Amino acid sequence: MTRHRTGSTGGHPEPLLFRRDRTSVTKSPSLKGSCWQILESSGECASFCRMAETMDELEDLISGLRVQIRRALANGQRAEVPKLRAELHAAEQRWDTGLQEIEGSDTGQAPLAPLPSGASLLPMREQVHQVLTLLGAPAAPKLIVAVHEAFNGGELVSAKLTSLRRDEERSFRSAPFARPYYLCSALAVDQWVSVRGLLAVSTWSLDRRMIGPLSPRVDFLSGAIRLAQHVERTGDPGPQTSRLLWRFATNIPGAAESFGSARPAAIIAAARAELEVHDAADRAQRKAAAEAARRRLDDVQQLFGAQPLRAVRSAD
Amino acid sequence: MTVIDDRLNAIRGAAPRKPHNARTLAALAANPGCRRRTLMDAAGVNKALIADRLGYGMTVGQMSSIALARGKSFEAQVKAEGGNDLLRLLRLHLDLPTAQAHYHDLNPADDDDRISARLRRSQRALEEAARASDPVGTMFDHPILQLTMNGVRVHIEPDLIAFKFGDRFHIVEIKSFPIVDGVADSGKVAAAAQQAAVYVLAMREMLQTAGLSPELVSHEVILVCPRDFSNQPVAELVDVRKPLASLRRHLTRMESIDTLLPILPPSLTFDLVLDATGQPTRSPDDLAASVAQVSARYSPDCLQSCELAGVCRAEANGTVPVLGRVVREELGGIDSIAEAIALATGGRVPDDSQREAARLLRTAYQMRQQALEAMR
Amino acid sequence: MTVMSSLARVLAAGSKTPQRVTLYRHLHVSEQPIVMVPIILAGETNAPLAVMVGSDPGQPEVIVTRQPRERAERLRFAERLAGHLLFPIASMAATTQRVDTRRPELSVRATQAPQVWVPNPAGVDYVRLLGRMTRFRSSEGPWAVAPSVRQLGIWLTWLAEQAEFADSCVLVPATRALSAVWATGQSDVEDGNLAAVMAWLAPPPGMAIIDAARRAEDPAVCPPAGPATDPTFDRLFLQPTLRDLASAATELARRQVLHRLTGMLVEQMRPTWDLVWQAIDLLGAEPPAARVARRWERQRDRFTAFHHYVSDGGYPQAKRDNAVRGAQRLAEMEQRLASFDAERAYDDPLVLADYRLAGEAFAGEVVASDPHRRVRGAQRSVTRPLVTVTTTDPVRLDVGQQVHDPSRNGQRALITSLDEATDGWIVELELQDKMGRGRAPEPGSVPAVGDEVVYTALADTFVRRGRAWPARENIPWTHGGPPPEPVPVPEDAVEDWS
Repeated sequence: MTRHRTGSTGGHPEPLLFRRDRTSVTKSPSLKGSCWQILESSGECASFCRMAETMDELEDLISGLRVQIRRALANGQRAEVPKLRAELHAAEQRWDTGLQEIEGSDTGQAPLAPLPSGASLLPMREQVHQVLTLLGAPAAPKLIVAVHEAFNGGELVSAKLTSLRRDEERSFRSAPFARPYYLCSALAVDQWVSVRGLLAVSTWSLDRRMIGPLSPRVDFLSGAIRLAQHVERTGDPGPQTSRLLWRFATNIPGAAESFGSARPAAIIAAARAELEVHDAADRAQRKAAAEAARRRLDDVQQLFGAQPLRAVRSAD
Repeated sequence: MTVIDDRLNAIRGAAPRKPHNARTLAALAANPGCRRRTLMDAAGVNKALIADRLGYGMTVGQMSSIALARGKSFEAQVKAEGGNDLLRLLRLHLDLPTAQAHYHDLNPADDDDRISARLRRSQRALEEAARASDPVGTMFDHPILQLTMNGVRVHIEPDLIAFKFGDRFHIVEIKSFPIVDGVADSGKVAAAAQQAAVYVLAMREMLQTAGLSPELVSHEVILVCPRDFSNQPVAELVDVRKPLASLRRHLTRMESIDTLLPILPPSLTFDLVLDATGQPTRSPDDLAASVAQVSARYSPDCLQSCELAGVCRAEANGTVPVLGRVVREELGGIDSIAEAIALATGGRVPDDSQREAARLLRTAYQMRQQALEAMR
Repeated sequence: MTVMSSLARVLAAGSKTPQRVTLYRHLHVSEQPIVMVPIILAGETNAPLAVMVGSDPGQPEVIVTRQPRERAERLRFAERLAGHLLFPIASMAATTQRVDTRRPELSVRATQAPQVWVPNPAGVDYVRLLGRMTRFRSSEGPWAVAPSVRQLGIWLTWLAEQAEFADSCVLVPATRALSAVWATGQSDVEDGNLAAVMAWLAPPPGMAIIDAARRAEDPAVCPPAGPATDPTFDRLFLQPTLRDLASAATELARRQVLHRLTGMLVEQMRPTWDLVWQAIDLLGAEPPAARVARRWERQRDRFTAFHHYVSDGGYPQAKRDNAVRGAQRLAEMEQRLASFDAERAYDDPLVLADYRLAGEAFAGEVVASDPHRRVRGAQRSVTRPLVTVTTTDPVRLDVGQQVHDPSRNGQRALITSLDEATDGWIVELELQDKMGRGRAPEPGSVPAVGDEVVYTALADTFVRRGRAWPARENIPWTHGGPPPEPVPVPEDAVEDWS
């Protein structure tokens, strides 16, 4: 064999040592020596070796701290962990600084991604309101984000939408009906509690905000129809809009024609055909539930849902 | 029942109960002969903490937090907007009529939603769908089922149950491992099937109690996975008759807790005696003595499914089962490694039950020596 | 596993030292191995996170994805990996030698073939999936990738396909290669962990094997050999870092996080990298069995042939085998396994012992020999020596059965009688061939009284495919009919990613 070997060739050779500057193999090997070449070869940083010694020490410290954190957790010494974490964080920051010094000039200070060109200047609740109005039915944050991105080109963060409903409820409680609309809940037909993860508009009738077993499907189909109609009106859809339409179409029998393409007219026809099947039953359920709810719930509850009746339920 | 519960609570000690789930039930059925695990699981003992205290902490069956997050997000995607993706797959595989598109959300309404309330809601919805004369239910998202396992009631939560009106219920398992070109990792499919079998059994039990036919639950479960390298869900029907049969067999074979408890010392407990800061104060030696009072049945497969495996392996040190199932079977009747070596080298006369294995070992040993000497 | 290897495990456990299961190494160990230690992001379908790759133990190349959840980054990762793998493959294929063969298409043979080492069988799956992920990518159109990505996919797929054959050695999982030679005193479950096997074979200096094996199970000091990462590592370090990466606001911040990420991933891969090289050295130092060179030649032939296929612009391998291809592959797999088993038994007394234990081979002493016996054949009389052997082995062969003598180039013999003796068997054999052309058998071609001999029912003949398979255009409709040409379709390239 031509390869360089440092181990003996007997039955139980010594473990090979590849690190030039350390001799212990029981320690976790770290990023040095050969590694810097790696980073160089990937074109990421060329002048690393100058500071190698101090950086080496920092790396040893960092990997040592990682092992210590794991040990502490494994041995049930949770109390130690925050301190070690802080030390690790500090070491990483020193390392970051070291890296910055080596890299020299501040070429990297520019912000990473400029705001998307189509970013809307409207407040978030307005943007959500627009999307919900377009869909015409209660929707989950993920769908709202997808529709917004497809039609308005901007970005919404779906995590922020979750807190939106709470803010709206607070605002309504402090000054009821002070705003032209509120983003509120959809209610479950059986208990009138707020349905997990759905957003609706307060100006919609309570029927429309009631969710029975068939309502998610009905709302999906009617949403598909409204989106397709919108595309028909506005003409040539962009790639993101086509993609969204296609996503809808794949889940409606007879709506998608071929891979990656869906005509609005085909979506509308197919969705209407299925809607026909569910609409009457769903409408009746929603209407009955809404009527009962209107009699029993106050304004806040009608918009944001009743408290679950746990005590009553467990007594039955 | 309360006597048993009291006893199990005492065995667990002050620690909070660690409930079973379908995965732990399936794992338990994989080694039904292990009393130690049967008892600790029935009592809801946190085995990982016991192992840690005994100095054999292991990271068994731990799922990466990253994998868990991805699994959750895939499941959420499949169920988004009233399960539209899922509905497409159900229509494709079950030939579901268009009229069936109902979606029942049986998830906890909030943090205070008790499991018993969810169980009642789930039972009501599922039984109503089974009894109704028109389709009123199709998809049941995260219902709660209940299974009685050696005298202990266990709550489990399938991803989804689908119902085809006039036909059957199907358990739906949503997993984030991929089906690449129509093929999935067979080990993962088998694990999913085992888990689904637990759900099938539990749901059949529920229907039977309600006076409905258990046959209403299909033995074909629907496995939903991402396709290839994408996020697009695809479904496959998986026949769980085999895992179901073996689960049933193991459940009946499993030593019932009420026959096990009387033969254990009344003072037995695995309480770690935590101090104010949550640190265990029970001496490891004392704890080990308690653990040793309940016999285990170690096999290397335990390393992948039981947190206590390190403890049992150390205890089984020097015995043949430590070397794996195949070795154990080949040396049938010989339990100790030292004994096996003595029989192989001729240092010991075999008893009747060992004669066949011993003869083979002796011959093998001679051939081995012959070959090794020729090499020198 | 067999009785012999079970015995070896028992002896290893008893003596706390590893025990051989073969006398020789039956795997070719390349002089220029390529080692690959991959790790992937948990929960995703083979989403590469990082890989350590190269042919120099002291200088691993490290490739880290800049964003494991982005499709474009995964492909860029593949492109960088292609840079490290395709070059050695191409240069090995470029150096050829002429060979004598009746088959003109095989008249040249590459003097080297790639040998890629991964830590464990999961590493083989990684190679297969990465190959599947990249081989259909197009270098044109909206999702164009560098042509090397597709080439990489085709080669990785070939490596992974070859790894399914028992006798192949172009993609080697280190754990299996080690377990083929040595038994440890632990179970095969523990042996699946490279660090645990190496704890037995080469514990850190001054450390007892048992302590080393315990240490090998502590992921804090011995990170798993991948491609899956340790869940605790994920939770404590990887997940927060990936979060920082996603939220980095400036180019500098992103680079800092990337360096930190690289650092912690290197920490996870490096111990395994060192172990794989150590394993290669251990195995390389073992004496190779006689037929290793011949198998390596055949492997180089396959490599040469596939290289020609690729350089002629061959299509990527189909997603699924058609009926004929599937049957062919299965038959080839069985046949190569059978001949691999036979070759190992011929070369290695310790392997042969398993067949002796099972009664399919026996060793004994010649007690009578009639080398000049002639019998009347169809046209003329022929030399058919009779040899009588006593053995204490548990023979389970029948009169009339054909056996072979591994030490005489597989000389055929028929069992003419079989009698039970007090302590074993007396076997009479009639030798059939390999005695030269003369009237009298060549000296040494017939065992003499007092010789130690071994006969086995295993035949060491490399049988060419016995069946004629229909050509792809003649596949009957009952088996799916002629398959379509495996032309990559655009759908493959637009495949949505998670």
